[in-house]
This record gives sequence, structure tokens and C-alpha cells, in this order.
Amino acid sequence: MKSVDEPKLREIVGEKNIKSDPSDLYVYGSDASVHHAMPWVIVKPDTTLQVQKIMQYANQECIPVTPRGGGSGMCGQTVPIQGGIILDMKGMNRILEINMPDVYCRVEPGVVDDDLNMALKQYGVFYPPTPASSRIATIGGEIANNASGVRSVKYGATRDAVMGMKVVMPNGDLVTLGAHTRVEASGYQLHKLMVGSEGTLGIVVEATLSFVPIPEFRCMGIANFDSLQDAGEAIGSIMSSGATPSMLELMDSIAIKAVNKTMNLGLKEVAAALMYEADGMVKEAVDYEINKMKKICEQHHGKDLHSSYDPKERAKIFMGRKKLFPALSKYDENLSSTSLADDMAVPYSKMAEMAGKIHEVAKKNNIIMTAYGHCGSGCMHTKILMDTKRKDQWQSARKAITEIYEYVRSVNGTTSAEHGIGLSKAAAFKVEKSDSLELLRIIKKALDPNNILNPGKLMQAPDNWVTATNLRYSVNS
Amino acid sequence: MKSMEKKFTHLKKWEGTLAACIRCGYCFEHCPMFKFTGWESDAPRAKIITAFGLLSGEVAPTPAAAEKLFNCFYCKRCEAACSSGVALTEIFTDAKKDLKEMGFKGPGTTSITQLNCARCLLCVSTCPHEARSIQETGIEVDPAKCQSCGICVEVCPAGAAKMGNTFGTSREELTHEAKDFLDSHSSARAVVFACNWSYYPDLQASQLPESETKDNAYRILVNMCGGRLEAQLLMAPLLHNAWGVLVACCPEGDCQHNGNVKAKKTIANLKKILEDVKIKPERVHLVEIPAGDKSLFQAEIDTFVDKMNTLGPIR
Repeated sequence: MKSVDEPKLREIVGEKNIKSDPSDLYVYGSDASVHHAMPWVIVKPDTTLQVQKIMQYANQECIPVTPRGGGSGMCGQTVPIQGGIILDMKGMNRILEINMPDVYCRVEPGVVDDDLNMALKQYGVFYPPTPASSRIATIGGEIANNASGVRSVKYGATRDAVMGMKVVMPNGDLVTLGAHTRVEASGYQLHKLMVGSEGTLGIVVEATLSFVPIPEFRCMGIANFDSLQDAGEAIGSIMSSGATPSMLELMDSIAIKAVNKTMNLGLKEVAAALMYEADGMVKEAVDYEINKMKKICEQHHGKDLHSSYDPKERAKIFMGRKKLFPALSKYDENLSSTSLADDMAVPYSKMAEMAGKIHEVAKKNNIIMTAYGHCGSGCMHTKILMDTKRKDQWQSARKAITEIYEYVRSVNGTTSAEHGIGLSKAAAFKVEKSDSLELLRIIKKALDPNNILNPGKLMQAPDNWVTATNLRYSVNS
Repeated sequence: MKSMEKKFTHLKKWEGTLAACIRCGYCFEHCPMFKFTGWESDAPRAKIITAFGLLSGEVAPTPAAAEKLFNCFYCKRCEAACSSGVALTEIFTDAKKDLKEMGFKGPGTTSITQLNCARCLLCVSTCPHEARSIQETGIEVDPAKCQSCGICVEVCPAGAAKMGNTFGTSREELTHEAKDFLDSHSSARAVVFACNWSYYPDLQASQLPESETKDNAYRILVNMCGGRLEAQLLMAPLLHNAWGVLVACCPEGDCQHNGNVKAKKTIANLKKILEDVKIKPERVHLVEIPAGDKSLFQAEIDTFVDKMNTLGPIR
């Protein structure tokens, strides 16, 4: 194992901002994915200058550096498979400016999404990309993953909200990308390139983000369906009708059962449920959207339809979806919920088929898979529920993932909707992007010639993630 | 490493749960230790990962690894928030039992007894978790039983009972923080001491711009359980020109340590002392806040600050 010059790093960040005990390294070796790898040292910088000095040192010595936010990534983006330095960016956690006249805010990368929204709330505005993990996800991590969430169907993903940023490059240079203006027409939009780059191109040390007014009215509804097919077709019809939902979420029967079991929510255990929301400044406009979506759900045999403007009732309707990811682990006490093939996007017209395909592949491979997601954005999530101790279950999961992504590609879908690529999805990503992989490699080489930033991810990740990386589970041989 | 597995007899039963934890990290925001240090390795998820590593043999049972498990205030907020239903503190306790049997003593956040102990046994009789006992060598603390409520620290007349690691919740640290706030804010009126249940929700780990905080009339300081509030701590802000001190703790019956009952007695006694020195007793006030009732908490703070504005500074 290659070592790092700890005294040198201590000099840069101070005694309190570095950890290297094996027990700390073990903790920082995993995230919310299935992977695990040991870093050599964890460094938590407070300032941009410290980040620059760390990068200068790492670049000179060719030491891998993996930037990390909340560690909530589900595909192993922050798992340091080549070891090196974990750059814990949570130390840079200041909200620097909330500029109402110019409609932007400036934040450091370690600011937590929910914290930012709490600070913005008193101005009557919000930062909309918000993923489900917003209570721990940092802005830096969200930028690295181009995170999005339930309201992205109307307000867009992180890439749409990022106006500019300051980035420390792998050689330690500080660059300012983008602008503080709403438009910036020409030239390479390098700040947009950084969004979704999963920490492989630069370290974001400051971000300029736009925000939008909190709508006066929000109405949420739910419709139950006796077949997944009907629910999927309703999604396609809603999105092609010109309706503008601020949220359109799907939960299948397994997802419903899991949240009922964990939280005793009493949701009706049907084949699928659609949650739809509309928002706006004028109630009549919101009514119009909600009624439009209701009508379409009815046309597709939706039942038990009800909707509400009441915040408590809305929270109740949405509670199951909000807590679904953790709740899935309670579906069966012998099974664990793993983030494998957890995210993909397909054209609207294929949503129903996609959901059906997930169940079909699961059945064929003798594992349990769910279908849920931000279907208004074309985004479908799955989780694989399996006995993680059994080696054969991992083999089945691997087969299932391959089949799922083969289908996704066959209908012109994409591997990553919002959870990123990291390690878990790299194999499918590489097949999908086969004719542009060389371009990606050229960009990476140009910006990070020594390949020190989050190496071994995206197009560099090993195809066989089950054997090429450590799993965080104990698997019997 | 396989032989180590045998030693974790208590932890062994959680094997399935440790694998089932999806490591979402949603427990971070609830943990006062994570909020204080900002290190992920102090968050509840880190303890689960460590417990898994100890059991699987991937983490060696070293003092540093053991310390992670011994560091917990048992506020149980992580557990209440976990929608995967992971019984986090029960797992931590079982890990502590195993580690104790291996010779690790923490202290972590466990309370300790210093040499100036007078053996009055007040701490033994008041400990709500039966963690303290008198032995030939003096007062012993069972680190697997201690839930770090700090009531022993409050009742010890000799000042011999102390918390091991305090993560910003010791009398000295809180006094210092209160003084810092009062000295640097001309608008400062009150210091609010809140237990970890009444203080929720708020910013997790981010810092607001200075423009948002410079005119604040009050500062909320988390003291963990109300049971550990000492009269000296509550008086300290008044000595540094605070106009009043507000205490927030759980409603009666809600506190697992019965610390709120203790806090009420402390406040009642303090009010008498204030009266004796001609300071209006309402300058120290206790409110009961059900977990998560942010609006009630804010309303109580606003009412208290209004009242202090009416009373004016202490002359």
C-alpha cells in the first residue's frame, strides 16, 4: 500500500482535521452502496486554500483523491477503490450569501440541502432539485451526481439550478466557471461539465445556485391501480397531455407493502399507486392541473382517487414514498435492500413496460425487485431485495442487472437518471456510451493528466463489480 | 480474524440487522455528536458500520474502535428516525457489553469518577440506569449500563463525577459558548438550554451567513438531557449580562432518564436563590416541549424574549 505524508497534510489542514486510525478509515470506506474500500487517510479541509494545497501535494505525488459529501451515494461514487485521500468536504459548510435582488445564493460544497432550504424558506424561496436524501446530501455531492428529486419533473435537476462555481483543479489551480447571471450563451459551459462528473474532474469549493419562489398552493393526489400496466400507461398519458405536474411518483405493490410494514401507514395494498402533485400561485391553475391528472388516471382505471391541499394530508399521502428507500429493508427480515441497478430512465411511453420488465426479470432470477420512482421525469428506481450472505443471490442479481439494462438500452433509455454511475452501474454505462467513451477519456486526461481524482470510476470502473471490488456485506463462499 | 467473531456474543444476534441497515445516513442529522464534530465517524451510521466490522472481523477491536461505540448520549433520536427500524442503541449496548468483556472500558461519553470522590453515594442512588455501584476500590461505573444522562454529574457535591467525552455539553464548554455569544452580540437577551429532544428540527451541520445571525436576541445551546443542568451553568449567562435563561426539556413522562423531573427541581431552587438576591425569578424559566414541536418551541422562545425585553437588563 502506498503511503501518504501525514505530517504534510496535518500542516495544511491542522491536527483536528485529519484522521487515519483504521477504524475511521473503515467507516469512510463505504457509502449507501454495496461497495467498500479502505482509504489511506481522511482529510477535512476548512478553506479553499487548504483544498488547493492538498491537491498540489496529491498531484505531485500521484495520490488518489476522492471527494466526499454526505456519503449518501448509492453507486459507490465515494468509495476509494484505489485508496488514497478521502477529502471530506463537510467542513466547508457555510452558506455565503443569499442574494434576493439577483436571485441566487452562494454556498460552500458541504452545505446540507435541507439546511439551505431552511435558510431560504424565510425569503419565500426554495432550491428545487432536492433528492430524497436531502437531509444529509450536501450541495457538493448533489453537483457531483447531478442530483434530482421528486419535483425535478417541473423544476429540473441540479444542472438546471447551477449558475456557476469555483473549482479546484487536480493540480491545485482555482478556476471560476459559469456566471452569476441567468444566461451565459457561448463558450464551453464548463460548470455544466462539472455537474455529474462524480468528482473525477475537479473539487467544487463554491457554488452559485438559483432558486424559485415557494408556490402559494400545492395539491397532492393519489390513485390506486390494479395493474402496473395501467399505472404506467397513466404516466405516459399525463406527461404527453401537456399537464405540468410538480411531482409524479410511482410505487409498486412491493414498495407499498414495505412502507405499510415499516410505518403502519395503512396504504391500500394494490398493484401500483401513483402520487401526483401540482403547484402554483393561483389556486384555479392548480385545480386545473390536478383535475386533468385525475381524469387521466380514471381513464386508465385508477381508483380510490383523492387529493388535498392540506399540508398534513399531503404529508400523509407522500410519507410512504419519502421513506420508501429505508423501508424496503423491512420487507422481509431475511432480505436486505441493496442499491443495485437502482436507477434508470426510459421514454414515457415505455414506463409501463419498464415496470413490468423489472418484475419479470426478478421472477426469472429468483430475487425480489421493486419498481418506483419519479416517473414524471422518466426516472425509474428499483431495489434488489436479497439474502446478501448467499453468493448465488449476488450472481442472480448480477444477471438481473444485465438484463434490465439491456432492456433499457433497447428502448433508448439511459443508465443513470439521477443516482449516478460510480461503480455499480459502470458496466452498463460503458456499453451505453461505447461510441463516446474515448471522448470522455480525452476530457478526463486533459483536466486530470495524473488520474488522481476519484480514479477507477465511470468509464474507468471495472466491468465486474462483484469480483473487482469489495462488497460491504459478508458473503459466504 | 475469524476467531474474534466468537468473542462478540452479544453483538452476534444483530448480524442480520447490521446487514439490513441500508446505510442511508438519514440518522446523521439527529446525532448531537455528529453535529458537534462534523465527522462522519461520530455519526450513528459509523457505529453501525463499526459494529458490523467488529463482528465480521474487518475491524480490529482496538481502543479507537471501541471508543466509537462507547460514545453515545442515548438520546435515541437516531433510533426514532430510522425507518428501517434498526434498534441502534440496543446494538451499541450489546457491542459495549462485548467490548467490556474484552477489557475495554471506554470511557467514551460514559461518566467517570475522579479521585476527589467523597463516597457519599448520592450518584449511586440517583443513577436512573443502575450503572454506578460502590466497590472496594471506590465508585465503579458500568460502561455498558451508563447512558450518559449526566445526572450523576449534577448531583455530585464534590464535583468528582464527570462525563468522559462531552462533545460540547460540559458545563465549562456551554458556559464558554454562552459567554461568547453574549459578548459578541449587542442584541443578546437570552440563552436557551435545550435537551436534544426539544431542540428539533434545525440546521444540521451548515452555517448561516453572518448577516443572518448577528442580530439574534438568543442562542440555543444543546445540553443533552435536562437532568444534567447544574445551577452554576444556569447562572453563568446571567453573570455575563444575559437578561434571562430559558430551559427546554421533554414533557414529564417522556424523558427516559427522568431528567426533566430533575431539571424542574433545579429551576425551582434557582428561582428561590434569585429571589434572595433580588433578581426576578421569572428570568429563569422552564418549558416542556414535545419532541419535534418546533413551532411551540419557537413560540416559547419568542414569548420569553418579549418578557425579557419588558423586564430589561439585570441591574
